[in-house]
Amino acid sequence: MKRIMFLLILVVGVASVLIASGSQEVEDNGLVELVIPHYKAGQNVGGKFFLPQVERFNALYDGKYRIVIEELPQDGYQDKMKLLAQMNKLPALIEGVGDTVWFEEYMLANDRVQDLKPWLDAHPKVKELLLEDALSYNTRDGKVVSLPLALARPIGLFYNNTMIHPSRPIGEMTHKEFLDMLKDEKIAFMTSENAWTTNLFYTSLIAAEPGGVEMLQNGVENKIYDFTGPIWIHATTNLQYVLQNYASSNTLGAAYADAANSFMSRNSAVIPNGPWMVGDFAAGSEDKWSNGFSGDQVSGDVYPGNFAIANVRGYNWWIPNGLPEKELEAALAFLEFMMSPAELEAFMLVEGGVVPRLTPSEEFLVRQQENPILVDLATTINEETRLAPLFGDVVPGSIANMEFGKLLPKLIDGTFTPQQFCEELTRKAAETRL
Amino acid sequence: MLCVYGTEHFYKLQGENKLTINRIERKYVPFAYAFLIPTIAVFLLFYLIPIVTVVFTSFTRWDGFNTPVFNGLTNYLRFFSQSSFLISLRNLLLWSLIAATLHVGFGVLVAFILFQKPKGWKAVRGVYMIPNIVSSAAMAMIFRFMFNNDFGFLNSMIRLVSPSFQVNWFFESPWAFIAITLTWLFYGAIITLIVLGDLMSIPSDLHDAARIDGATGFQAVLHIQLPLCRYAIGTSIILSITSRIAMYEAIALTTRGGPGDDTMNIPIILVKAITDFNYGLANAAAVFMFLMGIFTLWIVNRLFRMNNPIY
Repeated sequence: MKRIMFLLILVVGVASVLIASGSQEVEDNGLVELVIPHYKAGQNVGGKFFLPQVERFNALYDGKYRIVIEELPQDGYQDKMKLLAQMNKLPALIEGVGDTVWFEEYMLANDRVQDLKPWLDAHPKVKELLLEDALSYNTRDGKVVSLPLALARPIGLFYNNTMIHPSRPIGEMTHKEFLDMLKDEKIAFMTSENAWTTNLFYTSLIAAEPGGVEMLQNGVENKIYDFTGPIWIHATTNLQYVLQNYASSNTLGAAYADAANSFMSRNSAVIPNGPWMVGDFAAGSEDKWSNGFSGDQVSGDVYPGNFAIANVRGYNWWIPNGLPEKELEAALAFLEFMMSPAELEAFMLVEGGVVPRLTPSEEFLVRQQENPILVDLATTINEETRLAPLFGDVVPGSIANMEFGKLLPKLIDGTFTPQQFCEELTRKAAETRL
Repeated sequence: MLCVYGTEHFYKLQGENKLTINRIERKYVPFAYAFLIPTIAVFLLFYLIPIVTVVFTSFTRWDGFNTPVFNGLTNYLRFFSQSSFLISLRNLLLWSLIAATLHVGFGVLVAFILFQKPKGWKAVRGVYMIPNIVSSAAMAMIFRFMFNNDFGFLNSMIRLVSPSFQVNWFFESPWAFIAITLTWLFYGAIITLIVLGDLMSIPSDLHDAARIDGATGFQAVLHIQLPLCRYAIGTSIILSITSRIAMYEAIALTTRGGPGDDTMNIPIILVKAITDFNYGLANAAAVFMFLMGIFTLWIVNRLFRMNNPIY
């Protein structure tokens, strides 16, 4: 009896430890369920289109595939994916890579990404929609490592047309003319999170420098670690001036929600942001408006100097290597669903952008006219508009996501001169190298 | 002394230092080890192996995926040469000093007040514990709102006296350091409980003897209660300083080490290194934190003579 008790205690004790450190398996009842952690959920502006899209997918594949979105904060999404990759627990679908160095040097170098080429070859309708530049960027050693973009979505700015009255399109102005036109009105900037809106305007200032666009474009392939050149110092000098004179009162410490709130409460007249924000200006979003703000007061334009921010040479949705067959099928089905003409058109109607290789349907063209801001954005981009990649996409991850925003308060209060700011960024970037 | 079962009657003392167990008792030894196996497994899996791995990989160039490559002291040299390290060290010293004096001092003061059992002391003790049951992350967010320049409670109060007052506490120098300090300075409930426990265990004879000898209340506090709480105060200082060494949420969710590097600390450097997939450097920072913890333990032990008996 004692021996049995001894064995029982031993088994229970060891099992309790092992169970506590093990993982659960999902029971398979024919339905393949993918749990996808993503930031486009809850109150995130991207969730407005993405969550209903997931529901449409679930309805279409009812009983076969099901996608469940697990809400994550946008700020920590890419870091979370890195940690999950470290633990070999990546979800079946991941959007973007955040840090291209990590993706290329670790994920691709270790063959941990699913090759989408065979799937694309088997789905010519999807393949023919893809942008050529995006496809070539995503093709590595003959493999397609992430779903290339079919849609170009240049990022510009929004302004309140009852607070400022540009005499001509903003794209036709210089930055100086634009700022003069603002008079006492403010721009909704941020210093918290990844300082997104500030990051966008800073990119436009860099792009406006001679050789700035080319420098940013080169940075997509070879990350920038040196910020002490004249382009950087001059653009930073301009940024300091703008932040000290035209930043909304809550800029210090402002997260995205604070910047959006500043714009949608008429505390600032301009917010640099992408077309996905138009959902916040549409009917049904009145709960986000205050102080007399209304969505019909908003117009969209490109940046002064006729610049817009876009980078089709980037990584989009990707699938980790080694998924069970059923999960891989479900993940690929979702990619195919997202790339269907109906879904692409639905996306453009909500978040803007253009799919150059898609012939739009009649219904789409009619419905597009219902959203004047999207029409604004579509018409302000012309052949002369120069597209530049975002500053945050051409610098190391921790610079884009952490250090830039952390250093901004010192640039605003004058503790750092523009030169010191650039030197500090350079020093921080050097520390990120292995 | 080996003490497998924890009770001495299982042993028979033979000679001065030799312990033996009889034949019947020997039968129980496997049971003892069976009970120990889960604890040993947890210790090995979650403490010893990770610590050894951290120390080992701190001497390697390791991205977390590829095989670590030995690179000697490179990570430590890079860690110590970062300007943010020196700022972190300065911040840690200042925060440790504040923790050991004001933070522990406040907790001890509250304990001495509660020990007098004034009216409602139990309610105060309960309320004082509330911040300890709220997560650090939630507390950080509460403080972020409280210290907000536009609508924060603190500035709204100050503006009643000085209407033009404008300070963005978490995002302006030198206020950010002060704001971070205020997020923990007055939350010393654990200290209060530890010290209160010691105060309550002081034999009443000592108080009676002091009263008979004509000691005033203040003299009793100074010459009897404070010295007899030496262990508790020393333990509180260790807890408080090691919490400062490992402080992460309060900074990560508010200033993220900014503005500039004003509120940087070692855990933020560690997490940043992980973000850049530099695990060797991150683990060098972790080893440094570990050694700082050991050093704190050693120095407070010496200062408070915590190995010497009180009674």
